[in-house]
Amino acid sequence: MSFDHPVYLIPAVFLAIALCALLLAAQRRMTARDLVYSNVAFLTDAVAPRAWIGRAFNASWIVALALGALAVAGPHVRMPVPARDGSVFICIDTSGSMQSTDVSPTRASAAKNAAAAFIDASPSGTRIGIIAFSSGAAVIAPLSADRTAVKAALDDVPNPNGATAIGDALQLAAQNLPASGHRVVILITDGVNNAGADPQEMASYLGTRHIPIYTIGIGTPNGDIIGGEQSTIDEDALRSYADASGGAYARAENASQLRSALARLGGVTMLQNREVAMSLPFAFSAGGLLLLAMITGFATGRVP
Amino acid sequence: MASITLRDALLRGKRRPRRFGAGSPTTYRGDGYEFVELRAYVPGDDVRRIDWAATARAGDLQTRVVLEDVALTLAALIDDSASMRVGRKRPLLDAAGEAVELWYGSARGGDRVLRVGPECVVRPGAPIDVRFDLERTLLTARAVLPRGAALLAISDWFDLSERHHDLLASLASRCDCTALVARDPWYDGLGLSGFVRIRGAESGHARLWIGARERRAFAAAVRAREAELHSTFASLGWRTGMLEEHDGVAGLLDAFGLNFI
Repeated sequence: MSFDHPVYLIPAVFLAIALCALLLAAQRRMTARDLVYSNVAFLTDAVAPRAWIGRAFNASWIVALALGALAVAGPHVRMPVPARDGSVFICIDTSGSMQSTDVSPTRASAAKNAAAAFIDASPSGTRIGIIAFSSGAAVIAPLSADRTAVKAALDDVPNPNGATAIGDALQLAAQNLPASGHRVVILITDGVNNAGADPQEMASYLGTRHIPIYTIGIGTPNGDIIGGEQSTIDEDALRSYADASGGAYARAENASQLRSALARLGGVTMLQNREVAMSLPFAFSAGGLLLLAMITGFATGRVP
Repeated sequence: MASITLRDALLRGKRRPRRFGAGSPTTYRGDGYEFVELRAYVPGDDVRRIDWAATARAGDLQTRVVLEDVALTLAALIDDSASMRVGRKRPLLDAAGEAVELWYGSARGGDRVLRVGPECVVRPGAPIDVRFDLERTLLTARAVLPRGAALLAISDWFDLSERHHDLLASLASRCDCTALVARDPWYDGLGLSGFVRIRGAESGHARLWIGARERRAFAAAVRAREAELHSTFASLGWRTGMLEEHDGVAGLLDAFGLNFI
C-alpha cells in the first residue's frame, strides 16, 4: 500500500487518539443506564456477561477511526481489477486432427462452443478477436467489443484440415494486438506444431511485450487416429509457450473441461493489476462503521 | 393487632422444644398463664403441662400449651451499610425500618428492646456511629444477648460466609433468631438492556452488556442465592423471611407464619 500524502497520517493518528480518549472519557461519565447495585461482584458473576460484545464495540470504533485516518492519507493499493478495455485473441486450431471425435462432438466444435461461452462471459468493453490456424493462420474476426459480431464470426472458422502452425497464429495475434493495454492470447490446440514460425520464439516475443499466452490442450490422453496418424498433444511445448509469456496451461479432455478452463481463464485474463485509489472506500467504510457504532451505541447505551 | 400476634408467636416459640427431646421448662418468670392450644405430648415437654383430663379423653398424652406472661428481650441487628441503601423506588433500609418498628412494637411493658451494633448495644433509635460489620455485630450479639432473647437480623447477607456459620448456630442455640433476607430489588428482572454501567453501593463498578441471556442468568442466580440463604439459616436453627423493598412488615410476619390483619 502506498499513500499520496503520507504526512497526513501523523495528524490523523493524533486525531484518532484524541477521539478515542474522548470516547473513553464519555464512557466513564454517568448515564441514565447506570445501575447502583448492592454487590457488583455478585452481579457480574451472576450474569456472566458476554465481554466480546463490548470488545466488538470498541473494536468497531478503533477500526473506523483507523480507516478514517488512512483515508486522509490517500492510500493506493495495487490489486487485480477487471480490465474493461482489454484485448483478447482466441487462436483456434483448425488442423486436421481437430476433427477427432474423442471430444464430443468434435474437438473443433467443442473449441468453438467454448469460445462462444468465453465471449459471453467476458466483461463488456473487452475487445475480442478470433484467429484460426492450420497450415497457416488467418484473422477470422478482428478485435471488436461487439460480442454478437465476434460470436457470429465463429461460424466462419474453417473446417479442420491441414497442419498445425502455432507460431504463425501467435505471430498474427502479436501483429493485431494493440501496442499497449491489457492484452491476452488464448491458444486452443490439440496438436504438435509442424508448420510455420517457431512458436517458442513467438511466445518469448509476446512475453517481452507483456502479452501472456494461455494455452489449452484439447483431447483425450490416447487421442484419436486421424488420417492414419495418432493425434496427440505436446503438453510440454504448450506449457513452455505459456511459461515463456507469463501465461498458464490447462488441459481439457472433454467439452465440459474445455468450457470450464475457458471460464477460469475469463476470470484471470480479464484481470489486470492496477493501482487503485482507496481513499473513498476507506472513508465510506469508516463513515459507515462509525454510523453503525453510533446508532447501535445510542440504542444500547454505549456512548456517545 | 399484628404486634400482639408477633409477641405471641415469640412466646409460643419459647414453649416448644427446638429439637426432639431437647426442650426444657422455661426459666422466665411470669405471673399468669394464657391457654393457647392442646396438642399431643412431645418428649421433652414439661410433665406438669400434661392435661390428664384431655389425655383420658384422647387416649394419648396431651400437653397444654400456654403463654407465660414473661419479659422478653427483643433485639434487632440491622445492616445499615451502603448495600442496604439501594432499591428501585426506595432504599431497602426503609423497609428494614418498617420491620424493626413492628418488631419493637410487639414489646410490652417490662420487655427489653435494644439494637445490636458492631461492639455496641444501643436503645432503638439511638445512632450507631460505627460502620456496620456483620461479623463484629454477630459477635457482639452473642456476647451481650441473654439466653432466650429474640433476635431479628436484617441484611442482604452479601457478607455472609461459611466462617460465620458457627457463630450463627451458636446464637440460635441461645436465642430465638430470625433472619430477614433483603430481597434483591431487581428480583423480578433487571429492567435494563444494552450496555449498563453498574456501580457498587459500597465499592467497585463494571460496565456490562445486559441482554436477554444475562437477564435470565441474573434472575436464576438471585433465586438460587435466596434459596441457599434460606437453607443455610434453616440448617443453623434460624427462622427466615424475605424483606421486600415495598413492604417491610409482610416478610417478618411471614417468617412467623402470621398473616397481617
